[in-house]
Order: sequence, then C-alpha cells, then structure tokens
Amino acid sequence: MADAKKLAEQLKKLNELRGPVPQALRDQVAAQNKAQKAILEALGSGPKTAPELAAAAGLTHEKAIWYVAALRKYGKLADVPGKGDYPKYELKGGDAK
Amino acid sequence: MNAIEKIEVDTLVVGSGIAGLQSALDLADQGYSVAIVEKAPSIGGKMISLSKVFPTLDCASCITTPRMASVSHHPRITTLTYSTVDAIKREGKTFTAAVTRKPRYIDEKECISCKRCEEVCPVLLPDEYEVGMGAKKTISIPFTNAIPQLPVMHPEHCIRCGACARACPKDCIEFLQEPAPVEIKAKAVILATGYETTPMTAKKQYGLGKLPNVISPMAAERLLAPHGPYGRVLRPSDGMVPGSIAYVQCAGSRDKSIGIPYCSRVCCMYAIKQAILLSGSLPIADITIYYMDIRAFGKGYEQFYNNARAMGINFVKAKVARITEDEKHNPILRIERQEGTSGPEEVKHELVILSQGLVPGHDASSFGLGTQNNDFGFVKLSDEMVSSAVTAGAGVFAAGVVKGPRDIPDSVVDAGSAAMEAANYMRKL
Ligand SMILES: Cc1cc2nc3c(=O)[nH]c(=O)nc-3n(C[C@H](O)[C@H](O)[C@H](O)COP(=O)(O)OP(=O)(O)OC[C@H]3O[C@@H](n4cnc5c(N)ncnc54)[C@H](O)[C@@H]3O)c2cc1C
Repeated sequence: MADAKKLAEQLKKLNELRGPVPQALRDQVAAQNKAQKAILEALGSGPKTAPELAAAAGLTHEKAIWYVAALRKYGKLADVPGKGDYPKYELKGGDAK
Repeated sequence: MNAIEKIEVDTLVVGSGIAGLQSALDLADQGYSVAIVEKAPSIGGKMISLSKVFPTLDCASCITTPRMASVSHHPRITTLTYSTVDAIKREGKTFTAAVTRKPRYIDEKECISCKRCEEVCPVLLPDEYEVGMGAKKTISIPFTNAIPQLPVMHPEHCIRCGACARACPKDCIEFLQEPAPVEIKAKAVILATGYETTPMTAKKQYGLGKLPNVISPMAAERLLAPHGPYGRVLRPSDGMVPGSIAYVQCAGSRDKSIGIPYCSRVCCMYAIKQAILLSGSLPIADITIYYMDIRAFGKGYEQFYNNARAMGINFVKAKVARITEDEKHNPILRIERQEGTSGPEEVKHELVILSQGLVPGHDASSFGLGTQNNDFGFVKLSDEMVSSAVTAGAGVFAAGVVKGPRDIPDSVVDAGSAAMEAANYMRKL
C-alpha cells in the first residue's frame, strides 16, 4: 500500500508538472459514473437489453452497449442466457469479479 | 536522468508479431543471443488478437501464446515491450540501436500483475485492443493473455485520484516515471514490423468509419474471439444479434483511387474464415460476400472456399459502389453485379465488414540501414530468386508482412529463412 505522504507528494509534483486535471476530463468521468449508475439501477428491476438500458439511462444505443461491455468486463453484470435479437443482461450476484 | 541501459546481443529483432517471435526463437535455439523490441505493451503482434486461423480453424491464441511464452522465458532472448527503436546506426560490423522504453508508470520489477490498480481506477477508455468496442481503464493490463502481464497507465486520461497507488499491494505506481533510453548493440538486424490494415477512413464512399455497423475485419476477429468485447457476436450500434451480415472484398486493396493497387493476399481467406465462423455462431444468419474474384492460393484454401459455399454462404460477384445507412444504422450497399445484366441495386444488411488490405506497419527505410522499399512501402529484397530474407542493407534481414502481404504460414517460413540468413551472416563476420 502506498505511503500516504509519498503519494500526496507525487500527485502534487504531477500537478506542478502537468497543470490541473482538465475540466473536460473531470466532466467525462462524472458522465461515465452517472451512466454506469443508471444502468446498474435499471438492472435492479430485472434483466434488460442494451436498447432498454439506453432508454432507462438516457444514453444512445451505441453508448449503452459500450457501457454494457465495460460493466460486463469488470464483473458488474452478466449475460442472461436466451434467444432473441437483443440479449438481456442482469446484475452479477454476490461479490463475483 | 537514469544511466543508459546497455544490451549487447548477436541479433536485434524489431517487431514481435509471429514473424519476429519465430525468428527470435530460431536464432536463440541455435545459441545466438537476441533482443526483440516491440512498440506495443505486449508481444504477439496481430496474430494474438485473431480468433481462429484459416484454413485449419485452429485457435489463434493457442498457437501464438506458447510462442510468446517461449520468447519471454528464453534464456538467450531479451524482450523489450512498449519500446520504440528511434534510430539504428551501423559502425563497422556492429549495429547500435537507440531505443526508448516508454513509461508504464509502474515499477515493472515489483508488479505482481494482481490488477488491483485496474479494478479501482474510475476512468473508462475505449479499448483499442477490442477496436473500441470494449472498454479498459486508464491503468490496465492490455489484454487477458498479454505478455508481459504489466499494466500501462495513460496519464492524459488520469484524474490523479491516487486510487491505483492506494490499492497496489506492492507500492509500485510511479506517477513521475520518465522514458528510459536503452542502447542495443548487435551484429545483425531482423526487421519484422508487419502491417496495419488500411484505415476505415480510406474510402469516403464507405462511410469514413462513421457508420457504426460498418466495421473492420479486426473488429470482426474480436467479435468472434472467445474473450471478445461482448462475449458473443453482436453489432456495435445497439447490441443486436445481426441476422444479415455482408463482406465487402477489396475494400482497401486493388484500388488505385486510394493508392493501393496491389492484392493484399489474405483478405479473401480471412473473410471466408470469418463467414464460416459466423455461420457457426449465428446459424440462422444470412451471410453474403461481395467479391471481384476469389484468390484462394494456398494449400487447402480452395477446399476451404468450397466448404464455405457448401455451408450456404452467398458469394455475389459484385462491386460495391457506396455504403450508407438507414435510421436504424442498418448499412445499405449500392451494388453492381458483375454477372448478368441487371443495373445497380441497393441491398440492406445489419452488419457489414470491410475486407481491408494490408499496408506497411512501419517505414523500415527510416531506420537508415540501407534497406530499400518497394513502390508500396514494403521492404524490398535484394534478389527474391536467391533469398526471401536478404535486403539491400548488409546484415539486415526481413521477415513476415514487412516484405509485403502474406499469411501466417508464409510469415513463419520467412521467419525461419531470416533467422538462417542472419546466422549465416554472423558466422562469416
Ligand atoms: C483481419 C485479418 C485476419 C487474418 N486472419 C488470418 C488467418 O486466419 N490466417 C493467416 O494465415 N493469416 C491471417 N491474417 C494475416 C496475418 O495476420 C499475418 O500474416 C501475420 O499476422 C503477419 O505477422 P507479422 O509478424 O509479419 O506482422 P505483425 O503481426 O503486424 O507484427 C508486427 C509487429 O511489429 C510491431 N512494430 C511495428 N512497427 C514497429 C516499430 N517501429 N518498432 C517496434 N515494433 C514495431 C507491431 O506492433 C507488431 O507487434 C489475417 C489478417 C487480417 C488483417
């Protein structure tokens, strides 16, 4: 685990070298967090397809499937087996990674 | 500034695709020491991201991973990844390469590849390994079977929250890491810098990469790979299982309008391979290949093509003039059949793959080694009839697609001859 003091010094030095974190990047991360939260919340009420998640989270279909891929990779949601044109996704149970 | 790291070997191999890996192994197994320099964070080149290979349909990573592991564990091979060759000078019988190790912003010796940094990092990025269809974090291990299993941080996307450093059990995050110079001395050089596919933006008639369901063949490889972005074949605009898929052949080769008049040799075969694999994953999908003529030149390739036809894949001899899309992002192809007398028609599909051609991965003449390029930027051989590896630069050999488009079996054979020529040359020094 990093020494808190050493870490703070490194981050301070980094701010001096590179200037502050750009606002656009902060906004992008905030939007990412909001989108992921909205998708996970929507899945709280049962399995959904990417277009259904897009509607629930106010995202384009393209963005929704990208977040689904991200959340799937990082173990937050899983595929629901089944047929149909649009596969459904569900929250991943327990603490599985 | 750190002291320059110095490495002295018999042969320097530039590029670690299948050709670079194989020539490094061949030389090292004969007792020569080798340094292999790769610009990407992992060795393996294009082949490690393929799904299966034609015509055997063997799993690509099952063939590549053991070679990657052999290279990285070989006592006579030094591997430098995420490193660029900035210049190579020849003085007398010795080559001196100036190489830069790019910072990963971690202590590579201490890292235990636990991925805790990646798990806690809050910033998502499009994952270029998945051709943008999947996501990675600002600090992440490039892909599941990457070698080495070391994360790379992209500082331009870092919000400096420090979460990775706090999560790392080995205290190995180094936000202030700098590029490190390396000097490599060698007696011979093997160029194996491979290829890139023609860019999606090459042809404005095909949508310039802006139509979400018109994708590259590398993206299709990732859709078909077991570790792909969605874990199954879906289209990127909305996550739908595509019911109608089309291939546009020669979408970046044999096309003077984009400066690539040559045939890229592998596109017919990779399209047929992908079509066969798609019909396995999506048995009810309709798959069409729009082609000028099919070039199935290798051993067993014609049989492979005939199998695809027998499986119900539609081969339509037609030129595709333009691709647009409807409001649901279904690509619409304006085609002109080359057989019969019908006029142009418009056909709708749900996913389209552009069979892009192969262009040089690096301008090898920029190294200043006395090698020459052919008209299309690939490395020219001194005399193709005499050797498939000897270039115009003394002590400089070429292996794989760096010499021009070819498939994996040919690249492997080439790699063997480059290693043999290099060994011969070094013996005579
Ligand atoms: C979509 C698609 C599917 C294919 N499927 C098949 C198939 O099924 N079967 C088959 O036989 N063939 C297939 N091929 C062809 C196959 O990919 C190539 O024949 C093979 O991968 C070539 O290997 P290589 O080592 O020459 O090049 P590459 O794999 O391109 O390796 C070159 C390496 O050099 C590195 N590099 C480049 N420049 C530098 C530099 N300046 N410094 C350091 N490193 C550098 C690159 O990062 C890369 O790792 C396919 C091709 C495509 C496009």
